[in-house]
Amino acid sequence: MDFLRPVTWEQALAYKAERPEATPIQGGTDVMVEINLDKGRPAALLDLNPVAELTRWSTEGTEIRVGAGVTYTRLIAELGPLLPGLAQASRTVGSPQIRNRGTVAGNLGAASPAGDAHPPLLASGAIVEAESVRGTRMIPITEFYTGVKRNALRPDELIRAVRIPAAAGPQYFSKIGTRNAMVIAVCSFAVALHPGERRVGTGIGSAAPTPRRAPEAEEFVAAALDWEGRSPLDPGAARRFGELVAGAAAPIDDVRGRADYRLHSLAVMARRTLGWAWNDYTGRGPA
Amino acid sequence: MTTVAAPSAGTALDRVDGPEKVTGRARYAYENVPADLAYAVVVQATVSRGEVRAVDADSVLQLPGMIATIWHENAPRLAPVEDAELTVLQSPRVAYRGQVVAVVVAETLESATEAARLLRVDYRPEPHDVELRPDHPGMYRPDHVNPNYATDSELGDPDTALAFASVVVDATYTTPAQHHNPIEPHATVALWDADGLTLYDATQSTSGVRATIAPLFALPPESVRVISPYVGGGFGGKGAPHAQVVLAALAAKQVGRPVKLAATRRQMFAVTGYRTPTVQRVRLGADEDGKLSAIVHEAFEQTATIKEFAEQTTVVTRMMYAAPHRRTSHRLVRLDVPVPTWMRAPGETPGMFALESAMDELAVACGIDPVELRVRNEPTIDPERGLPFSSRNLVACLRGGAERFGWAGRDPEPGVRRRGRQLIGTGVASSTYPVYRMPSQASARAEPGGGFTVRIAAADIGTGARTVLTQIAADALRVPPAQVRMEVGDSALPRASVAGGSSGTASWGTAVLRACEGLMDALHRRAGDVPPGGLEASADTAEELRSQRPLSRHAYGAQFAEVGVDLDTGEVRVLRLLGAFAAGRIINPKTARSQLIGGMTMGLSMALLEESVMDLEFGDYLNRDLAQYHVAACADVRDVDAFWIEEEDPDLNPMGSKGIGEIGIVGTAAAIANAVYHATGIRVRDLPIRLDRLIGGGI
Amino acid sequence: MTAIVRRSGGNPTNAPDGGLCLALSDMGSSEATLSSAIRTETTFTVNGRRVQMELDPRESLLDVLRERLGLTGTKKGCDHGQCGACTVHLDGRRIVSCLTPAVQVNGQAVTTIEGVAAPDGTLHPLQEAFIDNDALQCGYCTPGQVMSGLACIAEGHAGDDDEIREYLSGNLCRCGAYAGILAAVRETARRTDSRVGEG
Repeated sequence: MDFLRPVTWEQALAYKAERPEATPIQGGTDVMVEINLDKGRPAALLDLNPVAELTRWSTEGTEIRVGAGVTYTRLIAELGPLLPGLAQASRTVGSPQIRNRGTVAGNLGAASPAGDAHPPLLASGAIVEAESVRGTRMIPITEFYTGVKRNALRPDELIRAVRIPAAAGPQYFSKIGTRNAMVIAVCSFAVALHPGERRVGTGIGSAAPTPRRAPEAEEFVAAALDWEGRSPLDPGAARRFGELVAGAAAPIDDVRGRADYRLHSLAVMARRTLGWAWNDYTGRGPA
Repeated sequence: MTTVAAPSAGTALDRVDGPEKVTGRARYAYENVPADLAYAVVVQATVSRGEVRAVDADSVLQLPGMIATIWHENAPRLAPVEDAELTVLQSPRVAYRGQVVAVVVAETLESATEAARLLRVDYRPEPHDVELRPDHPGMYRPDHVNPNYATDSELGDPDTALAFASVVVDATYTTPAQHHNPIEPHATVALWDADGLTLYDATQSTSGVRATIAPLFALPPESVRVISPYVGGGFGGKGAPHAQVVLAALAAKQVGRPVKLAATRRQMFAVTGYRTPTVQRVRLGADEDGKLSAIVHEAFEQTATIKEFAEQTTVVTRMMYAAPHRRTSHRLVRLDVPVPTWMRAPGETPGMFALESAMDELAVACGIDPVELRVRNEPTIDPERGLPFSSRNLVACLRGGAERFGWAGRDPEPGVRRRGRQLIGTGVASSTYPVYRMPSQASARAEPGGGFTVRIAAADIGTGARTVLTQIAADALRVPPAQVRMEVGDSALPRASVAGGSSGTASWGTAVLRACEGLMDALHRRAGDVPPGGLEASADTAEELRSQRPLSRHAYGAQFAEVGVDLDTGEVRVLRLLGAFAAGRIINPKTARSQLIGGMTMGLSMALLEESVMDLEFGDYLNRDLAQYHVAACADVRDVDAFWIEEEDPDLNPMGSKGIGEIGIVGTAAAIANAVYHATGIRVRDLPIRLDRLIGGGI
Repeated sequence: MTAIVRRSGGNPTNAPDGGLCLALSDMGSSEATLSSAIRTETTFTVNGRRVQMELDPRESLLDVLRERLGLTGTKKGCDHGQCGACTVHLDGRRIVSCLTPAVQVNGQAVTTIEGVAAPDGTLHPLQEAFIDNDALQCGYCTPGQVMSGLACIAEGHAGDDDEIREYLSGNLCRCGAYAGILAAVRETARRTDSRVGEG
């Protein structure tokens, strides 16, 4: 197993072009699990840690560009007000030790259906900035997940950053697990209100082969909400929203939970998070 | 040596090995590094039943740093012994998926791990059978159950009594396979030299490992030395040696170098034991006042094809409550599964989940408070053995616990208390554990320069044994504990029993006390003069134990739980857990409290989280890591407390103590399940109390 | 028993006809690469001491500490970042050393449990508090708990009991000493920072 240690982004891209089979490693929290548990052994590791630019984030217009090396810990501490949904999800990732090393880009690279970052990225409409020596591709998050633990990256591409619209309205993330902490989601859900566009974004985790949105639920509720008058959330509409979210999922039975439980709890989380977000929007405070 | 010290027993002496442990200086098995050490990693069967046809040992030997590949065709021969779990690499047979089929030895851990991953093994697979069902045609009646109890028992005419009872509870409960998961993986460093075999091993019994391993290698016991001063948790899993000890010794013999071998966390799910899953049917017959006329408790369990382990699940029911008509039984089926073993309170833990859940169902059926129901069925003598109790303070635990918990005035109606979106409920269950004592030896030595050294091959697996034995010795020697140096964890020390059955303090404490008394007598005879070479006395308790009069000896407790259940998601949070115990004299309140609370925490974990899921298609445990096999984390353990009732019992041992290592887990899961019923109206009879069992159950 | 779908890993090795089949003891990677260990020069400090070594990129920081530097206070529990027994500080932040390739810590500072007590052996107040509160039993998770507890306090995450519990949940204790661990961290946090709120 080779260890490639680029210092600049250009070097990293050159390495990846030369050794497309190399596995990029940032914090190691996903890659090393695979290695230690003998699930596979990459031919080479491409260490992106020394590439300093990846650890920065910046505001570009209404977008936050989060470098691939920004850890969950920093995301929580520094980006909470701008990306509240993602910050909430980040806080539920593993343990503080994992969050000090793990990154959103790593979550995207692994593309596990249970990754906590995915639902808020979907709800916000994030864009993955992928790059190779051939150029840059802006991949909409909805096109990024292509299968269980598979993504749209080409063999010579690396994730350079994730571009996430700054929150224009309330955002919430919810996750169900058996333990109080250190939990892999039984299922998870994120909602983001986009009041300017009269739109609601959603993201479902751990309840389908890939993280996914619930487009029908989004359309339904965007039309059902009283954006102008800010009247309270109609319980019937909230229920319907929950049903439509559950309807968008395609869960399986596994060690963590039965499919029917996942559908039920998704509907609950959708209802709850929508209620919290709407209360924030209408100024009613927490439910 | 005429220092007079205040007695140490009864005081909260800090753990004597605390400084070693908080600084990382305490050295555990895998951390020993004899010169010229090599690393061994095991290769596990990927079929659940069948035969190894060939192992392509040669191609991995080409890898850099490789030393050897050992499998059944080239492994050193072991002497035949009865325990087939230990006769590793002696035959091509594969008895379960995950069984060790080869060991690779290399210069570094990385090379060995890589070689193990790449080693090609050809199998001739056979269809497997890994599903425990109570109606399995292979169910049989074992000769006895662990450790040596009668398989079945019957008194009176339980069937007729049930037929005529005004209230009958008839329910089936299940508990899943559970894995110990001590944080220290099982590990051994093996070293052969002119004197024989030295094993640095993670074990609950250095004397036991020596006695078991020596015959396998056709050695006299004196030629095997087992060193284990620190053990990173055992919970029964390190009670008896498993394959890794033999594999390390065998590999070291084969390569002629010291060898280190640890099971990985994932390997532990197949090779280091687990608690059998159980299916238990409980039938209770009672009159309208809740007075029991009949108790029937039947357990169905699994064991491996290569070794029988019969968990004594219903034995506890033989002494718990009074009833004239009663029956208990155990049936086992041999499946193509890993070998089950002792796990914290084997028998009592699954058995009391079923019995104490059934008692709660009876309380509901009779409309009687569950504390009161238990009090009404308190026996005056051991119901099946007919012996008097040495002491039995279950009622005091129930009453004292109820008072401290705030049980009085509890509304029995289920599913009616709300706090926000949480349903709130409380539950109670009894707890008990037998008092065991096993023969042991110890020595006590007055050092010429002052101070004492006390030696016994006991094991401190985190119980606090080193500390408590120091206190017992200090009191017997009438000196402060600081003057006593306690040496444990080495088979070269006087032979001691296993750290199991909550028997350590009673067994080892007796030996230590007698050795110290002997030394005091010797010192008296010399008017306190310690000769230049020191003065030593030793003791063996075998005779003393034989003369113990027959009584029913048990510790008792009552567990109270308050839970909150999310109305929408079924998430259960244990808001409060309180244990009241009567366990004889408590020698160290600080370490005792940790033991009791630690057991209760494991019980909480069992109630809500722990479940090893058998993959019926592949025949192994599916969730074999700590990301998927959940044990309670800090955030799950909120308000857990324990207290004890002063108990004088002169018929136990010279210390007057009962064991406390296991009772804490007994009944906890039932108390929580009973509280969940009280909160939601849903009776969960299958552990763990999964979210989908509550939501599917229709909160 | 619930029917379970296996999501990944595990080659079906029971041939349907019960006949002979081959199994590679390789759970998932399609290619069994006989990779050689190419060594990479790495320089870092451990408890203030400079270390320079040629490392196999497969070696985790945990294994380098334990097997090559003899610093066995850092414990291995799961190889999976789940138990926290291997917690160390890297440039002042707590990490799990089992999921950190040692070659990655080039140029960084590692602090282990061996670097916590004063050079003269005087225990750190948190170590003292662990003993006082009997926040340990078998002791195997303890070094990781101490490293995590120190970080929890330094991060300002020891404000109240719930926060401490949450921020210590990356360290499993199978003996169940959580109540003592919580008390030790709470007590030390209060002693070191008077601004810390009520528990």
